[in-house]
Amino acid sequence: MSWSSPVAAVVVVGLVLAVGAYVVAVSDRLAGRATARTGAAIGAVLAGPARDGALLLLTRRSSSQRPDAQGWVLAPMIVVAMAAVAVAVVPLSQGVAVADMDDGIVLIAAVFALVMVGVYLHGWSANAPMPLVGGYRFVALALSYEMPLALVLIAAALPAESLSVGAVVVSQHDLWNVVRQPLGLPLFLVAGTGLAGWGPLNMADGPDLAGGTTAEVSGPARLAWEVARRSVVVAVAVVAAAIFLGGWQGPVLPGWLWMAAKTVVVIVVITGIGHRVARVRLERFVIVAWAVLIPLALVDVFVSGALAL
Amino acid sequence: MGLIARLATAADIPVLPVIGVGGRAAARHLGLLDGVRVVDHARAAALLLVVGRPTRALLRPLLALHDQLPTPRATVWWKIGLGGDELMEAFADVVECRALDERLLRAVFVELVSGARYSDSPALPDIEPAAWRGVGPYGQGGTGMTGGTPYGRPLAARAPDPDGLELDQLQLEVGPAFAHLPPGLVLHLGVQGDVLRTVAVGDNPFTRWPGDPPLGPLESDVFDEAITSPTPLASLELARARHHLRWVASALRLHGLTAMGRQVAGFAEVLDIDDPTATTELARGLVRNRSLRSTMDGVGVLSAADARAAGGPVARASAVAVDARTDDDAYRRLGFEPITHAAGDAWARFGQRLGEAGQAVALAGRSRASVRSPGAAVEGPRGPVGKAGHRGVTSAWLAAVLPALLTGSEWGDAMTAVVSLDLDLEEIAGADAAVDVAP
Repeated sequence: MSWSSPVAAVVVVGLVLAVGAYVVAVSDRLAGRATARTGAAIGAVLAGPARDGALLLLTRRSSSQRPDAQGWVLAPMIVVAMAAVAVAVVPLSQGVAVADMDDGIVLIAAVFALVMVGVYLHGWSANAPMPLVGGYRFVALALSYEMPLALVLIAAALPAESLSVGAVVVSQHDLWNVVRQPLGLPLFLVAGTGLAGWGPLNMADGPDLAGGTTAEVSGPARLAWEVARRSVVVAVAVVAAAIFLGGWQGPVLPGWLWMAAKTVVVIVVITGIGHRVARVRLERFVIVAWAVLIPLALVDVFVSGALAL
Repeated sequence: MGLIARLATAADIPVLPVIGVGGRAAARHLGLLDGVRVVDHARAAALLLVVGRPTRALLRPLLALHDQLPTPRATVWWKIGLGGDELMEAFADVVECRALDERLLRAVFVELVSGARYSDSPALPDIEPAAWRGVGPYGQGGTGMTGGTPYGRPLAARAPDPDGLELDQLQLEVGPAFAHLPPGLVLHLGVQGDVLRTVAVGDNPFTRWPGDPPLGPLESDVFDEAITSPTPLASLELARARHHLRWVASALRLHGLTAMGRQVAGFAEVLDIDDPTATTELARGLVRNRSLRSTMDGVGVLSAADARAAGGPVARASAVAVDARTDDDAYRRLGFEPITHAAGDAWARFGQRLGEAGQAVALAGRSRASVRSPGAAVEGPRGPVGKAGHRGVTSAWLAAVLPALLTGSEWGDAMTAVVSLDLDLEEIAGADAAVDVAP
């Protein structure tokens, strides 16, 4: 069976997202435990996401007055689908990719931009104020991180002289992009954190909005949304591991294990940031993004281009 | 019980606390209970926890919140003080307790999830506020295409914004149990996007009616008692340090730093007067956090006049060095000097309270045998505590300036500003009641 057959594609991508989403949840709890210094039992931390998920499965789904029912159901599906497409174009080991397309980088930038549609739809569909304001805030921030995200992806493609993610991984055989393009990974992580609506960039579901887009969601629908958000973190981590950390390349261990380890490292960094960095102020972040992040991303492109010539 | 139910019974218990009369101090401990997760909104909760006595004004919002909890759900009433029984009869089934621990909540939660306990039925009738069909001259549901009230539901009216555009303005009411806002605070807001265009403060639900039981206990009671009876300085200063650190914990939770907030809240419970450097170190670590500074810097700047009128740490964070302790011989002997900050914004108030917490622990350590004589005014954690009716002045003044302070702010900044003022609406109601009964 080829990796690109429909069954294998669904199994591989589904497995990566499911296991990855659980790792994100556990890593988040571990980071919280370390920050709070509570000494909670490790067993409880590891089993916590499964227990909370089981509770959500047993809890009845809520509704609001005249919601956009189809949109509400569709929103987490859109977000998961976008994360799945991003994972699908990344080689998970040597020669193991669902669809290592010639223009995979372009597709990743495109589907990451479309995550915004799913998040806004989630806020809009509830037909309630807090979710709607959460959706507004996410959209207001989106362009500010999507531009640096796309630019650093382009910069990473320049040394490879290809838009294929597989070619970008191979181009890091001698030197990982995290060293060759030191601006790339930090900018990508900021943008990825915003894309996932995680930690300091949790504009859509922030605590100051009493849950934001999730304020009217309960039960299995809430579980679906939480899985969707964590799927985006996984997709960001997988892409970061491939584009900046050499992907499956590494000594001794099999390629898939290197890829998994690098992905987990990125997940740990993102979840750790969530417990250390306070929620950003929307307007101030937009100013920083346009005045600092985007120019830095352009410098990254120009320098990478000059070196590639 | 199936595998999923068995797993679910071991989950963290999602609890939505609603603070009634006398409940604020007790509810501070909720976030420290193992296996309990305090949630921000009703849809995420399995247990509604009423802490303290509900009032008549709180009852309707409380019932509405109850009905927003998804099933299976249960209501627990943590009874503090007297009264409230007749109001709580509006709930079909309530678990009452006088003291709360994780075991009691866990027992109710396990019964609920395993099916051994029936889920609460709705407390209010599920009736549409207006019919969806057949209203209006064409049966379209109402009047108007932009604006108006189709189907009996007002559309967002247009209003100008600072860029000269005409944008929809949503009218919202938040409170009296909105996550992170002071318990009882009701705000009527006109919102364009996430910017507050109009702000009005609603009625105080803790206002005492004739025949109601007395208010309290309040967090500041220990300071009130110091007016009339000799009190060790160490106990006053430890109470002040705890109050400020608990406030810091709540501010951290608002900014998305839940785990850090839990660490600070836990630290507040085990303060050691022999080790004042621990508090100072904690404070230093927090004020060095640049992301926190960026979130609060320049937010909710109070005028010097308002700060002076309010008093307390809010005034001192605006460079107004008023503090009743400077006139107190017992404090003078310890060499007390008030700490001040200049900026008068939310970040200055954050630093002020952290600084005062460290100072309070150090004072407590130095003042072991010192006892404060009754009589003079006492500096409470929010402001001066003096004669009856004086206690709520700080909160009352700050609540009155909220509309001017918040109008034009983004949502997140507005929440930061409100929390930074550390309002207590029960103190305001207590002050009003004391004035009412004064001869």
